Amino acid sequence: MEETKQLLKGNYAIAQAAINAGCECYFGYPITPQTEIGEYLSEKMYELNRGYVCAESELAAINMVIGAVSTGAKAMTSSSSCAVALMQEALSYACSDELPVVLVNVMRAGPGLGYIYPAQGDYNQTVYGGGNGDYKLTVLAPSTVQECIDLTYKAFYLAQKYRNPTVLLADGLLGQMMEPAVFGEYPYPEIDNSSWALTGAKGRAGRRIRSLAPDENEQIIHVEKLFEKYEIIANETTEWEEFGCEDADVILVAFGSMTRNIKAAMRVLRKEGLKVGVFRPITLSPFPDKRLNELADKCEKFIVVEMNMGQMIRDVKLAVNGKSSVDLINRPVGQWLSVEEITDGVKKIVLEKIHAGV
Amino acid sequence: MEKNYIIAGFGGQGVLFAGKILANAFMLCGKNVTWYPCYGAEMRGGTVNCEIVVSDEEVSSVHKQDADCVIALNQLSFDRFISKIKKAGHIICNSSLIKEEKTRNDINYTFFPMTDAASGIGNYKPANMVALGVLSNIEKILSVDILKKAIDIVLPDDRKKLAGFNIEAILSGYENLLPAC
Repeated sequence: MEETKQLLKGNYAIAQAAINAGCECYFGYPITPQTEIGEYLSEKMYELNRGYVCAESELAAINMVIGAVSTGAKAMTSSSSCAVALMQEALSYACSDELPVVLVNVMRAGPGLGYIYPAQGDYNQTVYGGGNGDYKLTVLAPSTVQECIDLTYKAFYLAQKYRNPTVLLADGLLGQMMEPAVFGEYPYPEIDNSSWALTGAKGRAGRRIRSLAPDENEQIIHVEKLFEKYEIIANETTEWEEFGCEDADVILVAFGSMTRNIKAAMRVLRKEGLKVGVFRPITLSPFPDKRLNELADKCEKFIVVEMNMGQMIRDVKLAVNGKSSVDLINRPVGQWLSVEEITDGVKKIVLEKIHAGV
Repeated sequence: MEKNYIIAGFGGQGVLFAGKILANAFMLCGKNVTWYPCYGAEMRGGTVNCEIVVSDEEVSSVHKQDADCVIALNQLSFDRFISKIKKAGHIICNSSLIKEEKTRNDINYTFFPMTDAASGIGNYKPANMVALGVLSNIEKILSVDILKKAIDIVLPDDRKKLAGFNIEAILSGYENLLPAC
């Protein structure tokens, strides 16, 4: 029988999806707008006899996740922008150690402590990292409550499959809103981690998970190996969604919940005769730059719409590599750009380009 | 066709709860729907609101700058949201706590003494449900039957015994609303 849809809050959807994905341990420290994740899991994990610790700090929480996943357990933490900032060192370690950490970041306003309003200001922090050294996280950005579920499943799978820390980058709007969705079952196969997990060395040689590399050559080999893996991740997992891009004169690019608004803006502008397409990276890292570059062969104008001062726009510019113009419609925080603000912004940019003869 | 509703009132008047029932009811009607609360320091007092967006297509923006319909349960909410209603939009007011003043002439008004009606059936608390009853009378798609099913979904098991009382409150709003003047 088909599962009936339930009206679900994004945060609860993520939490239950983590349970369905087999998350055995949750460590977290409360922060708005994602506190419901920890609240929900504090009850359910106890009922299921799985691990739950309300950590003393975010720094402790992410390091507890590192400890748990080192033993082969599926584990996650969740937090929000300014508190995810505290976890950056550990994420760098986890990348170097190749640990399947799952982190949920429900973004709020920044910089600094900011406030609890939704925002998308952690693109750079998540995709480029605040930790040291050469590393890449795998980053997934949901745009609906249904995707909060589907991409939480995927985050656990990708983390395990590639042994790379994976981030679900949601925002306060998605975390707090309710929308009909279904859980379904965790759709991915279980990954065998018996070759590396620290399970006690009984009957076999001991293993080490460490990021210290006192030998220069060893360090070079290690980082190159990591980047070969990132290449494989890019080839196998890069994901995006596009509508009407084939014949578009203007392509709107957004990630996360802003996608909802640009899709509506596209419908309005198409009715008015402007050929507008929509492109949404689902994986922010790896970024779908190859596809954007192909689209730039035909489309001369890209407009990035985001709730920050312009972060993803840099990746779009790198992807189109000068073939097309790339403009920005943005607001740093607060009320999401409305469909009217986007359509007005697009028209203004398009008209300016015509006047400038571009 | 997309339409958005804002329900607003004091913390404790059941604004978010009423919104959840409304959103579930629209879901049961087969519509795409979102529910988005104001969240923050409101828990410590002041006005609370939530926004429900209903659409035949994918819901676009879940938190809009204006509204098609506002349900105001107290005067503060009336004062705050009256200017955000679209032209030809609708405000549904709890006239037990809101002065019957039409400060704009380009929108529709419905005044109904929700808190008094709720008190009339034994308890002032379900004024929020009376409001849904009034809305059900206005929005034909939202039948009382659908609202009953939505209540059954939203109420946790240990509160199911309160369903009957809530339905009674919905009916008192639904049945006693006079035709618009």
